[in-house]
This record gives sequence, C-alpha cells and structure tokens, in this order.
Amino acid sequence: MTTPAADENLPELDLSWMNRRGPWDTHAKPGKYGLTLADIQVGEYGETPQQSQNLTGRSRGSPPRRAAMRIGGYTVRTKSDIWVENASFLYEEALQRQWSSATDVPWETIKPLPDDVEQAQCQLATFLTEVEFVAGDVPARWISVTTPDYFEARQVLLAQVMDESRHMDVFRKRALANGGGLMKATGATAGFVGGIDLSRDFTEMSSRLHISGEGAVLTIFRMGELMAYNDAEKAIYRLCAQDEARHVAFGVMHLRYMSQKAPERREEIDTYLDEAEGGMLTDAANPAGRLTQTSESLCILLGGGRDKFDEGFRKIVAIRRRQLQEYKKRVISAGFGERFENGRSRLNELMAQTAA
Amino acid sequence: MSEALCFPSVEWLNAVREVFNTTDSYRGAGGGQCDCTVGLKVDDEVFIVEFEGFGCSSVQTGTDFELGNVDFYIEMPMSQWQDMLENISGNGHAIGEYTLNTIDLGSEEGIAHSKHGDQYRQDLFVRYNQTLQFFFDASHRVDTTFENS
Repeated sequence: MTTPAADENLPELDLSWMNRRGPWDTHAKPGKYGLTLADIQVGEYGETPQQSQNLTGRSRGSPPRRAAMRIGGYTVRTKSDIWVENASFLYEEALQRQWSSATDVPWETIKPLPDDVEQAQCQLATFLTEVEFVAGDVPARWISVTTPDYFEARQVLLAQVMDESRHMDVFRKRALANGGGLMKATGATAGFVGGIDLSRDFTEMSSRLHISGEGAVLTIFRMGELMAYNDAEKAIYRLCAQDEARHVAFGVMHLRYMSQKAPERREEIDTYLDEAEGGMLTDAANPAGRLTQTSESLCILLGGGRDKFDEGFRKIVAIRRRQLQEYKKRVISAGFGERFENGRSRLNELMAQTAA
Repeated sequence: MSEALCFPSVEWLNAVREVFNTTDSYRGAGGGQCDCTVGLKVDDEVFIVEFEGFGCSSVQTGTDFELGNVDFYIEMPMSQWQDMLENISGNGHAIGEYTLNTIDLGSEEGIAHSKHGDQYRQDLFVRYNQTLQFFFDASHRVDTTFENS
C-alpha cells in the first residue's frame, strides 16, 4: 500500500521506449520445418540492403539510435560481397542436421588394426585435425567483420565453425581410440591452406576455402568409406562429408550470386580460381596430392596395407580424378564455366595428366 | 502379420516411407531437414521420391525423361538393389560395403547421377546421405520380396 504523499514526489514514469519500434503487427507463421529464418522474412524485416550503413550492431529492422557507438567496425557492408540466396535455408539445415561425435559414431566397432594401417589412419587423422583448425578459424574471422544486416550469412558461417569444431574433435578422437595416437604434424596449415587466411576479401577467402579447399576435402571424406576399416570410421567420414557438402554449397551459391550481381568482379574471381587450380594437385593442402605423407597414408589405407601400396595408389589416382571432375562441375555450377572453354584454366590439362 | 511387398513398387516405397516418417531416431544423428527430389532407377523401372522437411512426402512411378528433373538419381541393377536391401534386412541397417556411399564409390561412374550436370544439385546426394541411408535402412521393417525371385 502506498501513501498519496509519497506518489506526488515520484517523477512521471517515462515509457517512451514503447513508441520506438520497428514495423509492428507481424505474425510470422511456422511452416513444415518449424518457425525458420525464412518464415520471419516478413515485410521490412526481410529486406536486405545492397549497401549497409549499420556500424553499431543494430538488429536489421530495429530503429536506429543516435547515441549508438560504432562497436562493429564492419568491413563487409556490400551485399554481393558475402550473400547467398539460400543462407537461411543452409543455416536451418546446419542446425537440424547436427550430430555428436561422442554418441552418433559406433566407437565400439573399432577393433585393433595392423600397425601400418593404424599408423596411416592416425596420420590422416592428424592431417584432418590440422586442416579443420584452419577451416574453423578462417570463417570465424569474417563473422565479426560482417554487418549484422547480413546476419543470415553470418549465421551460416557460425554453424560452419561449429561443424569444423566437431570435425577437429572427431579425428582427434579417432587417433586416440585404437592404440595409436597423433602423428607428426604435416605442415598442411602452411602453403595454400595457410594462404586462405591471408585473404583480404570474403569472396577471395570463400573461393579458396569453400570451393577448392573444402571441395577437395569433401572428396576425401566421401572416399573415406573406402578406407574405413569399421563402421565407426565409415560413420565419421559419411557424417563429415554431409557437413562439408553444406560448406561447399555455401561457396558455390555465393560465387553464383556474386557472378550475377557483381559481374565487374568476375575477372578478379577467375584469378583466385587460377591460384587454387595451380596448387590443386601438388600442394600439401590436398591429402590426395603428390608426394606427401598424407597421400602415402591414403595409399596404405586404400590398398589395405603397406604391402598393397600400389593397389592403393591406383585408387588414389581415381580420387584425384574425381576431385578434379567435381571441382570443375562446381565451378561451372557457380557460373564460371567459360574458363574451361577459353583456355584460361589448366584443369583439363591436369585431368589429362591424372588420367595418364 | 503384414503381407510381403514386392521391390521395386510404389507400394513397397510407401511402406518404407511410413516407417521412415514415423521413426524419431531417423531425424537425429546426422539425419534431419532434407529437401530434394531423388530418382531411383531399378533396371528399366523409374521411381521419384520427394523429401521435404523432416520426412519423405511422396513416392511415385516416373519415366526416364523425368529423371532430368530430379536433383540426382540412384541407378543400380536389380541384383545390386537386392544385395543392398538383403544386407539391410539382415542387420537392421546397412553395414560394410552396402552403405549407399560405399556402393557409389565402388564403381568408376558411381551410382548417383544427374542428367542436368549441375554439381550443386548432385552434391545433395552427399549432403543428405545419412537421410537417404536412414530411408533405405527403414526397409528392414518392411517384409520384402523381390520381383525376380
């Protein structure tokens, strides 16, 4: 109970914040996937600016505040620099298709392996742990410098970081699960993979990471079922391949968007692809590349032991061929197919060498 | 006891679809949201299977021409389909060399193809591989006979 005298001394309640709001009376409805980001693209909330002036972390659709500090310092503020048309969908898919390396891999199916096979498996696991560190670190840098107006793309990248984190842990677990351990670091984080982190532009990074780097690793993950010695390893590779395919999809869709909306940058993007193709077969970044400890471990795994190295080598040639074919088709899908027709790309030459 | 259904047929696929759509465990563990249209080619017979959201929304017969509209199609001779489904039936899920991905890798050209040549759409075979595996794994609860047996 209050006294009338006390109330008279109180300042009037200021509820002016109630009038400062974005578009009102929104009624987003859940669809067959639940209430997704796509379902809340309602009216102005769904409008993504071509250029963003948002430097303050303001949520898209929320009214600006004059006193706000420039907390973000965002450098990615042009839509075509980062956008993909199906970002919302990829994000929701990433959330829905998560898996646990602790409980969704039938670890009990791992049994002791011959020493050479276990060492090869551990070498490959060591390599993959290294490269997944990069695959997590690099997109993470770009999240914080992207305007919140493009939050859908940021969230896909956030989900990717989670995926890569799981890949790091699952290969580390595999290395430590069966009497082996980690092998000598391969140095895969130098050279081309390390160079991904030197990218000054998001599309430069994405073409290196998503299209060439992860595209190559995707083929390895797919082929992982051929070099798996138990259902646990098969599950690891299959589930990692799913995640990786989603990351590659982001890269393909981004390049496609960029090629349509910013055609003036096509020549520049071709330069990134030139560089990627140059290192595709030879660089340590590619586990199926030439003369690396990873390609030798792949030969042992694919062949079935050190004494069947040649048989494994024949299979690794098939992997290289498939990597190149799939890369080429993805680049075509992204809208840069003419490079294979006009003599700019050396990929056809590389494919011929691989077939020889 | 339910009547045995013949593979391949719409009736068989619908029975698998029912099991797949009503089994919660197929939505986790790397399964979940999936959007794609898949063709199945068994010798000369074609079926079109649609996945939407968290389930399989439809199955129907198709034509070779219609395979041009699907995201990708899985093509195997009847004997290979039968081997895969018998492995699943015997183990409750595919093991060893009988998972879809392993079968795909077992031949130079693979079993997952597209007529449109768009790698983005063909990659859906990999992106949704666990869901596709769960779908066929669901067939272990369907009493199955085979056309040629």
